Amino acid sequence: MTTLDATAPGRRGLPAWLTRPSVGLVVIIALMIAVFSITAPGFLSPFNTFAISRELSVAIVLGYAMMVVLGVGGMNLAVGSIGVCVAMATAGLQAAGVPVLVSVAGGLVCGAFLGGLNGVIVVRTGLSSFMITLATMSIYFGAMLLLSGAQAIRNLDPAFVAFGRARIAGTVPLMFLVAVAIAVALTYLYRATDIGRQMLFTGANPKAAELSGVPVVRAVILAHALSGLLAGVAAIMLTARTGAGVPSMAGQIGRDWLLPAFIAPVLGGSALAGGSVAIVGTFLGATLVAILGSGLRMVNIGDFWIELFLGIILLVAVLADRARSLWSSGDVGR
Amino acid sequence: MIRDRLLRLARTENAGLVAILLIAVVALTVANPAFLTSFNLYVVLTSVSLWTCVALAQMTTLATGQMSLSVGSLGGLVAIVVGGLCELWGVPLPLAIIAGLAVGLAGGLLNGALIATSGINSFIITLATFSAFHGLTLGLTRAIPFYHMPDALKALGNARFGAVPFMLGIVLVVALAVHIIFTRTRIGRHMLAYGGNPTAAVLSGLSTKRAVIFAHALSGLLSAIAAILTVGRLQIAQPTIGEDWLIVSFAAPIIGGASLSGGHVSVPGTLLALALLAVINDALVLLGVDPFWVQVVLGCLILAVVGANRLREGRRLGEAVAR
Repeated sequence: MTTLDATAPGRRGLPAWLTRPSVGLVVIIALMIAVFSITAPGFLSPFNTFAISRELSVAIVLGYAMMVVLGVGGMNLAVGSIGVCVAMATAGLQAAGVPVLVSVAGGLVCGAFLGGLNGVIVVRTGLSSFMITLATMSIYFGAMLLLSGAQAIRNLDPAFVAFGRARIAGTVPLMFLVAVAIAVALTYLYRATDIGRQMLFTGANPKAAELSGVPVVRAVILAHALSGLLAGVAAIMLTARTGAGVPSMAGQIGRDWLLPAFIAPVLGGSALAGGSVAIVGTFLGATLVAILGSGLRMVNIGDFWIELFLGIILLVAVLADRARSLWSSGDVGR
Repeated sequence: MIRDRLLRLARTENAGLVAILLIAVVALTVANPAFLTSFNLYVVLTSVSLWTCVALAQMTTLATGQMSLSVGSLGGLVAIVVGGLCELWGVPLPLAIIAGLAVGLAGGLLNGALIATSGINSFIITLATFSAFHGLTLGLTRAIPFYHMPDALKALGNARFGAVPFMLGIVLVVALAVHIIFTRTRIGRHMLAYGGNPTAAVLSGLSTKRAVIFAHALSGLLSAIAAILTVGRLQIAQPTIGEDWLIVSFAAPIIGGASLSGGHVSVPGTLLALALLAVINDALVLLGVDPFWVQVVLGCLILAVVGANRLREGRRLGEAVAR
């Protein structure tokens, strides 16, 4: 029930729930929490849980921004660039005195537009989304620098910054609820709506989808627009958390967001080839990354080694997944 | 007869790039004669020299229809290995360079072996090793550069003969070697055959694993050369070397005529593309344009070129079908 798959092959031998990536992720996450709560005193303190779940909320939504384009068999290298554009647009509107909700809506429209533009270029040219979004990540980022003068915007609306700090019952950040709400909405989109199913059919086999009357062009453009919108949500959450719109928040041309955006859905079991999305898996993938990062920092291994651990975990996860799928399809006679 | 020859010339693959490059150079010279000063040409050629091996490193993986996101982070790792060996342990420069090249080769071999044996998409494998190499670089150095590089290494990156940097000689030799590998050797043809049509390559009995591993190993070696030249040029071994390689590493080979789906690459085309990028960059500086335009222009250029290639391919396909 966690992985929605248009082409799910029937795996024999093991019960279906055991062969799911999510189960492995839950086990690893539980082990990590156990290890860190013993080795790092204060790991489970309300303060640290709050800090982890704030970080986590951004990572989950960012993972979804990539997941939705992976679902149609594409990718979006411009998530970071779009995110920064949205952050600067929202912050700029607030600095100009626009009400908070209007500024957020403006930012989100900007994100959906930039993402949708990627989608339009992809379907119009028929080129790979890798190449298109590689080009637009540079263009969007350059345009953002030209418009903002590469200056951070710090005079945000106090209500907006308060949203970044708001917590429920002492430990749960308000923005975590936003991430959960988005997960629920995406589950509804992919399970219960036509357009959600059309996106997955398009990703599984674009030609077959087109021949069977699926509006492939619309599905691809919508997936890219949704990706831009979600990248925008992640950026707005991060802006509220840091209290400023910063042009360098995702690194040069937004490249610092690439790894976190890909790692959550890939760990969660979304196929790069398209046709399936792992909504719960992406959630768990982002959780694993956030807990690992926080734990390593608390046991004083430090920020510098985190990327090495992330790389190794990603490698082990995809290799294990590969071995498992070869093994479980072995009796089908391949 | 001359007309025939001109027509044939115009149909060759790189004619478009040569024409655009010439127009850009002439226009820029007219707009600002400072372009032709020896120092400015030296700046342009230095930029071409520094980027050549970066672009070739990506080009070799593109030949097999794959890619390597780890070109830059492997370069960063090589840079700090060479810098660390020289500064901390006083290893003689030639040995440090050999060690750096070995690290690059090993990183590339690791990528190739993982991809070839697991059959997992090169994007995912190299995303993971990109992260691992970068993490290793940051962890080993705590993000602090090595400042004291041997004089010979600094000279390597800064020696010049008038407008021609010494590095240009090195990278032209390297580029020629890569060109020969792809045009004259069996392994080169195997890499291209695998990239052009993996199934056909397997069916015709090629060792596809060897082709994939060789391509990634060569790519790693080329990123190591690029990293060592960059350290020589900057005169310090920065852990951030390679962080900005991603876009150019794809842009130059693609603008130079390589296809993302594999099977076709061009060393001369890649060099011309780098020259064009360097001239455009120089133009923005000479004409006093806001440097932020660089990103926008680079992105638009990529879109324009891949779009034009697509149109040309479509037309060729159309002709073939019509026949």
